[in-house]
Amino acid sequence: MTRLLLVVGVASALGGLFLFGLLRGRPDRDIPSNLIGRQAPEFTLPLHSSYRSSYGETFSLGANAGRPMIINFWASWCAPCYQEAPELATAWRERGTEVLFVGIQTQDRGRHAEGLEFINRFGLGFPNVIDDASLVSIDYGLFGVPETFFVNAAGVVTYRHIGPVSSAVLEAQIGALIR
Amino acid sequence: MLDISLGQLGSGSTLLALAAALYGAVAGVVGALRRDARLQTSARLAAVATFLGATAAIVLMELALLSDDFSVSYVASQSRIDSPLWVKIVTLWAALEGSVLLWAWLLTLYGALLAVAAPLNVLRPWALAVMQLVQVFFLGVVATAANPFTVLPLPPADGPGPNPLLQNHWMMAVHPLLLYLGFVGLTVPFAYAMAALITRRPGSEWMTQTRRWTLTGWGFLSAGIVAGGWWSYEVLGWGGYWAWDPVENVSFLPWLTATAFIHSVQVQERRRMLKAWNILLITLTFALSILGTFLIRSGIVSSVHAFGDGPVGPIFLAFFIVVMLASFGLIALRWDQIRDRAELDAVVSREGSILVGNVLFLAMAFAILLGTLFPLIVEAISGEKVTVGAPFFDQVSRPLWLLILLLMGIGPLLPWRRADSQRLSSNLAWLLGGGIAAGLLALLAGLRGLYPLLTVALAGYNLVSLGLLLLGVVLPRARISKRSVVAVFRSYAFENRRRFGSMVVHFGVTVIAVAVMASSAYRVDEQLRLEFGAEVPFQGYELRAVDRFMEESPQGVSAGVEIVVERAGRTLTELRPRLNLFGQNPQLIPTPAVLYRPQHDLYLSIAGRLDPEAEFVVIRAVQSPLITWIWVGGLIVILGTSYALSPGGRQLRERQRQGAVRA
Amino acid sequence: MRRALALTAILAALLGTAPAQEEAPGLLLEQRVFEIGRKLRCPVCTSESVADSAAELAVQMRARIQTQLEQGRDEAEILAYFQERYGDWILQDPPKRGPHLLVWLLPAGAALLGLASLVVFVRRWRRAAEVPVEVDEADLERVRAALDRG
Repeated sequence: MTRLLLVVGVASALGGLFLFGLLRGRPDRDIPSNLIGRQAPEFTLPLHSSYRSSYGETFSLGANAGRPMIINFWASWCAPCYQEAPELATAWRERGTEVLFVGIQTQDRGRHAEGLEFINRFGLGFPNVIDDASLVSIDYGLFGVPETFFVNAAGVVTYRHIGPVSSAVLEAQIGALIR
Repeated sequence: MLDISLGQLGSGSTLLALAAALYGAVAGVVGALRRDARLQTSARLAAVATFLGATAAIVLMELALLSDDFSVSYVASQSRIDSPLWVKIVTLWAALEGSVLLWAWLLTLYGALLAVAAPLNVLRPWALAVMQLVQVFFLGVVATAANPFTVLPLPPADGPGPNPLLQNHWMMAVHPLLLYLGFVGLTVPFAYAMAALITRRPGSEWMTQTRRWTLTGWGFLSAGIVAGGWWSYEVLGWGGYWAWDPVENVSFLPWLTATAFIHSVQVQERRRMLKAWNILLITLTFALSILGTFLIRSGIVSSVHAFGDGPVGPIFLAFFIVVMLASFGLIALRWDQIRDRAELDAVVSREGSILVGNVLFLAMAFAILLGTLFPLIVEAISGEKVTVGAPFFDQVSRPLWLLILLLMGIGPLLPWRRADSQRLSSNLAWLLGGGIAAGLLALLAGLRGLYPLLTVALAGYNLVSLGLLLLGVVLPRARISKRSVVAVFRSYAFENRRRFGSMVVHFGVTVIAVAVMASSAYRVDEQLRLEFGAEVPFQGYELRAVDRFMEESPQGVSAGVEIVVERAGRTLTELRPRLNLFGQNPQLIPTPAVLYRPQHDLYLSIAGRLDPEAEFVVIRAVQSPLITWIWVGGLIVILGTSYALSPGGRQLRERQRQGAVRA
Repeated sequence: MRRALALTAILAALLGTAPAQEEAPGLLLEQRVFEIGRKLRCPVCTSESVADSAAELAVQMRARIQTQLEQGRDEAEILAYFQERYGDWILQDPPKRGPHLLVWLLPAGAALLGLASLVVFVRRWRRAAEVPVEVDEADLERVRAALDRG
């Protein structure tokens, strides 16, 4: 009898574990960011040419300290980025005065022309910078593109969104940032 | 009449096969319970009918693939008009639904073989019924949740084609087939073990009955694993063959337990002990192979090779749990009958070495299973995400492999029951001498580090062991019979196929061990920037990128670089690493180019993108010493296994004798 | 036997003093990059290491490793650099602390347990081998009956 119980015990333990796995869905999704609650890593990156007249040659996080910020990472080859770009453009038009938006083209070495095309296609008014060596990608612990980071006025990362960001998420997180 | 589509015919054949399997299982069980010979015969006929039905389904699927019938859902989702013939044929097992169909078909093939060819005894009806129950599950999945024959009302004009990684190499045609033949082959001894438990005859009958099945299954599984490694090497572009990916691991687990099994059954044959242990091992092997199919098809572990998360995950999980409960539950119920009243005269004996080897194989299987599932366990308990990757598995498995190599050399030299201590110490002196000589030679040759030196030493030790084994049987016979050593050797090898085959297999394993060590410990990786026309040195070679090339085929587009490889001023070859795009799939698939040489391989693959305007190309160059010998060693293992299985010598004469008696 | 032992001792001594292989510094650095890359998981791939992947981010992470090596950082510091940004997930080896130690200890524990239970069984079996088989009349009767039947 004890042996039978042992068999049932092992089988249900494995069953439970795998059931958890099935319910959890795909692995390697939503790996928590190590940056939440910490200072957003500093960066200084060259701006895409279309923004240079209004923002200068480079954009740096430190120079804009004291304002809540949304940092969006994208690449010209990334399909979900095309999906979220209009939402970001709209959010910027509505809330751009309260929150600073910055886009970072990353993991996309050398494809500046394609990047500009992406920017013009969606008429992105907020500054977009080029991270050719993907250094900032690594600093922010990126698992892919797109990812969006929300940084409060104190420069602390409060939230990270993986995948295309929706207006609902933007609205909620901007609300949290300026509260 | 021609209104019936291939899809409908395929679904129909699957359902017929399913019905026949279901009927066969029921008739078999009732027939066995009532000892009704007619019902048992009808169960056997049902097994043949199931096979015919499943064969029809396979043929129909191939027809649909070859005729680009996109009204069949599997063809629409996996095939493409422009794919070459061989790709269309192997597309059958390129995705989930088809692979389950193939698995089911192989099960029915083995079931039919069993029904037709297995000798009649008390076990056969039950073994067949167990096989048929497993068939019912797989055919049931094909007929329902993973039906590849679903008819699409609006068939597309063309499909996306199979996973590009799979179109990239002909090995893809072979590797899954071999692996499945192995897994399914090991179902037969499992079925017989279950039959032995059901009929309360847990002696050695089930085991001797299935000896050849077991060895065949093991051989196919080994071949499948080696072929998979070669495929990875030729396709994945990083110059390795084994990444300890979860899916690789779970295909390796049944191999480990099956290897333990084929050794420990010998102890039962000779010494009538380990009854319970052997039943446990083969049950574990079967359960692990089902666990593997579940993990591959559920997408719950992170793997390059996974089939993705289909609807079949929960179904396979349920089957795995049922298999666990039914088989181990049955063992638990029968435990008092199968537990041994074993006797062991001495630990230093053949059986003692096999026992220790078994512990090592199982420890390795446990470590690999734990490492594979650990991220899932941690996440389930604490929600943390961790990784268990290659370095962990290397560190854990290496010492165990070295110990196994140690046992592999001494074990076969030990006699059954008890070793004579004088003989033992003389053998040991030779073995150690061989090991130390090989180790010193390696040291002189410039090898450093504990693991490489120990591996070479153990390889030398194993070669001496094989020499001692052969000389130990050949020399005395030559002396007595006054025939030449070569003649005695030939007749020995011919007569004792199993024994000689096992020596060949062990030799192959030794070759693989050295090759694995050399190719991992002395591998040189470099990322090279090749300016067109300029010579760039790499490990004594001069690499010169000549030109870009672009090739278009119906299958897709490939772009690559022609690289001339020179050594000491002599042109050796031209390698053409490339990047491929298959059909409409946006995934860039690199195809490395390999210069195979006995001393080392030169492996080139394009790193990143291929810029059409740049003056240079960045490639990854890898030099792996002795890596070819892994495939050679694998081949030797397969040849040895086949030789051990080939009818001849003693077996042939026994069979003739039996024939004579029967006549 | 004794000679063999002496030879082993010499071998061990040689191992301890063996000089490292000489290699070109550039190549050596590159080997270190791949070596460290093998201990890191590529964030944008499925189950591939930074050394094995051809993804752009993996290539750039290798470049990052190289720069840090050139700056004189050692392996532990570089691994910590990535761990700080990505968490434990990025390390191919699970962290050797807390409950994660189990994955390291259990395999060794299982092997030892296996060997220990083998010792227990072997003792029992050897005792059984020394005791002659005792058969009572009932057992014999059963065997005879079975023989007659079959």
